[in-house]
Amino acid sequence: MKPFERLLLENKAWAEEKHLQEPEFFERMSQDQKPDFLWIGCADSRVPAEIIVNAQPGEIFVHRNIANQVITTDFNSLSVLQYAVDVLKVDHVIVCGHYNCGGVKAALNKQNANLVLVNKWLMHLKDIYRLHQKDIEGFHTDKDKANRLVELNVIEQVRKLTHTSIIQQAWREENRPVLHGWVYALEDGKIKQLIMLPPDSPIESIYQYTDALTS
Amino acid sequence: MKTIERLLLENKAWAQEHLAVDPGFLSKLAIERTCEIFWIGCSDSRVHADEITNSEPGRIFVHRNIANSVISTDINLLSALEYAVDELRVRHIVVCGHYECGGVRAALRKAHPGQSLLNKWLKHIKDTYRLHRAELDALATDRERQHRLVELNVIEQIHNLSQTSTIQRAWAGRQGPELHGWVYGLEDGIIREIAHLDAESPLDPLYEFDLGGGL
Repeated sequence: MKPFERLLLENKAWAEEKHLQEPEFFERMSQDQKPDFLWIGCADSRVPAEIIVNAQPGEIFVHRNIANQVITTDFNSLSVLQYAVDVLKVDHVIVCGHYNCGGVKAALNKQNANLVLVNKWLMHLKDIYRLHQKDIEGFHTDKDKANRLVELNVIEQVRKLTHTSIIQQAWREENRPVLHGWVYALEDGKIKQLIMLPPDSPIESIYQYTDALTS
Repeated sequence: MKTIERLLLENKAWAQEHLAVDPGFLSKLAIERTCEIFWIGCSDSRVHADEITNSEPGRIFVHRNIANSVISTDINLLSALEYAVDELRVRHIVVCGHYECGGVRAALRKAHPGQSLLNKWLKHIKDTYRLHRAELDALATDRERQHRLVELNVIEQIHNLSQTSTIQRAWAGRQGPELHGWVYGLEDGIIREIAHLDAESPLDPLYEFDLGGGL
């Protein structure tokens, strides 16, 4: 059986089981979604967002890309953010990285000439390294350096969220969402909190939008 | 309603439960392994890639954005695609849309001027509508039009994938990966395959890369 055929079979089994457990499940699912959380996570197959926090369908709106990044020129993640914050009105945005991240490890090495697009995406991680070079070089092994960059990357992405007009406006007008930076460890399956920024957390002045935004 | 603390508690419970059932489970995952499927799905909280296909962590590399779009200028998705095809060497790429998609519904309405980023993202769905206007306008109800546009959007994204240099080069080099267009029904939980392309599929010459030059 080809891998994709197995997925389709598993899907049928899942749907039947769900229906048996809760006959109204799919009827409930057909209603509009009202998730409380936006999850910005890594595309890595070993970090399935909803599974590792036992979330039910309908609870978490999910964006996953390489190394859980929020990039100011990226319409993809910013559209997700705008939809989640302005339309779905989520109360929490979570950026969840993970140790042993292939993207972070790649960013600490020389660029791979064959991966022209990945290189551009990972360039932002190299910039974070440069910003925190002293901190990272204080660690002795490559593994520890990479894991420290994983943490600093999560913190940086949470800060970048605060630099968007979407978050600043929602903080000012609706006093939400709370921003969370988490890191997941593949070795023990546990999530650790790294940073939490409630609405009205200080934002460096050069990143602040003028009040004229609120109209 | 789930609080953020509950997600973290659920994570601890999930990790403990998995370790109780299979003590080697997480250490197996900590070692990087190849996954065979790249999933491009919608961010919608009701469409969990891993859960609806009963997939264990490690099986599917996942990108999720608004309305499972593949856009030729989007470095976010294209770098995930490049990583999946050239590094992980996946055998299958699934674009999975779903009925009752909020992004597709929004694209059928007038744009909201306050959602400047989202509008640009959804513009591509409007373009798909325009391409198939005769077929869509012939349908009797708004709901049917929405459903059909969900399907046409998935088919369009499969073709968008086939028009990338990443896919064309992989098809020429290793006859893979296969591209699958799926639609998930929220009302019954079942995934249906509606389109399929592989290395043998004819390409519109307008979108073909000249791979002879080595670049």
